[in-house]
Amino acid sequence: MHALPAAFAVALTLLPSLAGATEGVLIVHSNQRITPAGVVIENTIRSAVPSALARPVEIFSEYLDTEWASTEALAGLQAEYVRQKYLARDIRVIVVSGPQALRFTARHRDAMLPGVPVVHVAVPKDELEGANYASDIVGRPLDIDPAPTLELARHVHPDATRLVVVLGAGERDRIWEERIRRATQRLAGLDVEYFKNLPTAEIVRRLGSLEKNTIVFTPGYFVDGAGVLRTPRQAVEVLASASAAPVYVPLDTFIGTGAVGGFVTPYEAQSREGADIVVKLLNGTLPSTIPAAPAVPTPMVDWRAVRRFGIDERRLPSDAVIRFREPTAWDKYGWEIAAGAAIVLLQAVLILALLMQRRSGRHMATELEASQARMTLAARAVRLSSWIWDVARDRIEVTQGAGRHGARAEDPPMTLPEVLAMAHPADRTRVARAVADAVDSNTELDIEYRIQRRSGEVRWLAVRGRTEKDAPQRMMGVTLDITERKSAELQAERDRAALTHMTRVSMMGQLSASIAHQLNQPLAAILGNAEAARKMLDHERLDLAELKDICDDIVTEDNRAAEVIRRLGALYKRGEMTFAPLDLNDLVRETLDLVRTELMTRHVVAVTELDDALPVVDGGRVQLQQVLLNLILNAADAMERTAPDERTVTIRTEVDGTRVQLCIVDRGTGIAPDAIKHVFDAFWSTKTGGMGIGLAICHSIITAHRGCLTVSNNPDGGATFCAGWPVRQAA
Amino acid sequence: VTQSTLPTVFIVDDDPAVRKALSRVLRAEDWDIESLESAEAFLAHGKRTGTGCLVLDVTMPGIDGFALQRRLAEEGRAMPIVFLTGHGDIPMSVQAMKHGAVDFLTKPVNGQALLRAVRAALALDASTRQARTEMADLEGRLASLTPREREVLSAVMRGKRNKQIADDLGIVEQTVKFHRARIMERMRVHTLAELMHVAIRLGVESQPGDASRT
Repeated sequence: MHALPAAFAVALTLLPSLAGATEGVLIVHSNQRITPAGVVIENTIRSAVPSALARPVEIFSEYLDTEWASTEALAGLQAEYVRQKYLARDIRVIVVSGPQALRFTARHRDAMLPGVPVVHVAVPKDELEGANYASDIVGRPLDIDPAPTLELARHVHPDATRLVVVLGAGERDRIWEERIRRATQRLAGLDVEYFKNLPTAEIVRRLGSLEKNTIVFTPGYFVDGAGVLRTPRQAVEVLASASAAPVYVPLDTFIGTGAVGGFVTPYEAQSREGADIVVKLLNGTLPSTIPAAPAVPTPMVDWRAVRRFGIDERRLPSDAVIRFREPTAWDKYGWEIAAGAAIVLLQAVLILALLMQRRSGRHMATELEASQARMTLAARAVRLSSWIWDVARDRIEVTQGAGRHGARAEDPPMTLPEVLAMAHPADRTRVARAVADAVDSNTELDIEYRIQRRSGEVRWLAVRGRTEKDAPQRMMGVTLDITERKSAELQAERDRAALTHMTRVSMMGQLSASIAHQLNQPLAAILGNAEAARKMLDHERLDLAELKDICDDIVTEDNRAAEVIRRLGALYKRGEMTFAPLDLNDLVRETLDLVRTELMTRHVVAVTELDDALPVVDGGRVQLQQVLLNLILNAADAMERTAPDERTVTIRTEVDGTRVQLCIVDRGTGIAPDAIKHVFDAFWSTKTGGMGIGLAICHSIITAHRGCLTVSNNPDGGATFCAGWPVRQAA
Repeated sequence: VTQSTLPTVFIVDDDPAVRKALSRVLRAEDWDIESLESAEAFLAHGKRTGTGCLVLDVTMPGIDGFALQRRLAEEGRAMPIVFLTGHGDIPMSVQAMKHGAVDFLTKPVNGQALLRAVRAALALDASTRQARTEMADLEGRLASLTPREREVLSAVMRGKRNKQIADDLGIVEQTVKFHRARIMERMRVHTLAELMHVAIRLGVESQPGDASRT
């Protein structure tokens, strides 16, 4: 009595949603959710259909689990379930994956989703033969005839006399057995034996003792003789690793389990073709016009298994797809090996050339010429030139050219002033001083500097030279064009500076409430004073002393606000780190001013233990402040779960000889032992929403101060971060 | 108006410059200004239970503004509070107002707005104090009734007639009339309507001893 109005009400509520529903595709899988083939099909359909279709589409999936749950009654319930579930959806195409899903859908479609065309994927050819499916059930059948795979195995192992077929104990296995029996009829000269309905442990035992003249074929199985459920791929994995004889398989997803290979049709290609058909149907193509030729399987082998069974590569089909082949060292590192060899050669040649230089035999000279020719090639490749400088006569002979960018071999000798003139004006004095130092103190010359070419192009050179022991008036060395390396370095430095700045600005964002408070305090005082003064001016009798006091207060507070803005400006400013002498204690106090409100709202008390004897230290002010801010805010974060009256962060400065140390001690939860070595890694964070950048940046800032940032857990709880660096940074 | 009845405006803010400027703004009015640097100082102040209001900074070391508000509410004689903050956000102001703050102002605060808020707070304080005094007076009157008179009053409140009351209490009707006259006199009311009004304010219906004996 009540069913009708209720159904009507349901229909009413569903109608509007159906009218507006997106086109839908329902994938019905034969088996459980996690079979490798199912996963490939699922993923491919879900990515290929939406990308080929120029409009939104909804994709749904159902898993029938027929490998373990397959009864008439259940199928009826599943059909009713699908019907109810997709009432409000606009399903336009059903994709069925595997033969069981096809059978199920063909049988229940009218009750479930009447009139919706079906595309089948991964349905074997022989499943379709004889079955008289409606013309709107289309797809490319899967050719899984075991014959080509068995012939391949036979061809690869010409000495084999025995074939073992491994099957499970389910419906699928009976179908496979039939297929295999048909195929082996055509295969002469092999004793065929079936391992079926056996527990996996027993199969494994038998496979382990097979002789070399045996080949194994298996399509895998869901259920073994002991009733244990697996995916067929898992079964093959177990079998292939246990088998003493090579295992051949008919399905794509089994390659990689340890099986040698077989003729297979990749599920991905299958699914892609299925997806194409789905798109055609969605775009209005009539199902009956869609061709249904089976896909042609390809031979595919696992290179590791080929090696394991000592298979002769030449016996593999020429069109075989070889998977898991490890590239050789040459394949992987060919370029590096060549470069290494060139450098070895170059060094040998260089030594030879220098030896030659010290003798002057004509015969030697000829050889020298030859070796020089070779060296020219190598030197050009790495833009290297070598030179000898007669200091007393100031003659620099460039022995070889530095490729396109240096002087050429034929160039006449140069003088030091000429070399200096080529140097970039900004580097000239530095180069001159380095050269003079090296000559005066008989030490090695090692300098990187820029040259400016007439075209205005700037290039970086690295020069290394050494005075000869027995002839201090001569220096010899090499010059290398390092422009590419240098510009990469400079770019990396700029990137790091940009990241540092970005991190700092984002940290300032976290502090916005605190900053607003810091600015609003003086502004509140200024406004209050100004209003009080204006009111006073309305009175007849002026209290001039009070007015003057008010004005003084306004000036003081204005300066205070300006100071806040000046400090913030420095933190927001983008720029490279510049080292300058600074008072670290002052910097700590200034930073605490900045986070005062933030700490107060989090009920964190900051305690300072500042060493009065601290010398003036060299440092990048803004960057050190960033480190301080970061460590203090981290400390506050770490104490979120500490009782409010125990939330103390201690900031300590101390000097130890020529090093200054800055420590931030919290009373939080500390750092887990396995996490402690990662805390300075970039993108490593324990905070939800943390980027994992802050500490990595702090670390790089302290490293740039030639110091180190360390962390340890306190014996009484919490963690301590210490940054230590030399008081003096070299100029 | 004598010195002792001037209301006190407590300015509680940890920033001395802000305190000074705020007291300058408020000083022109007829109020006592007490400028304090912390919630702790306020709690120790002798005049904090007198008439007045609080101009209270939210963010302070130690007990912060919200914590002080909670503490005063627990004590039951909350002085009206005008909150000031250097960085107000909506959740904060909602929290403050929910717990009975008179206003929630963001620094830098306009003098007019501050004066308006302080006046509102003082007015609220005065009216709650007056209500409290009145209530105390009425409670005194109720307390002066004898137990028998309380019984009669309860019966009257429930709309019983004199005859019924006499029967219920086992006395003669004349005595009931006599009790009623005494009740009117002691509660200092002249009409039955007035009596009902006062009794409802005092919550007499729910008083124990109200139990009917029928």
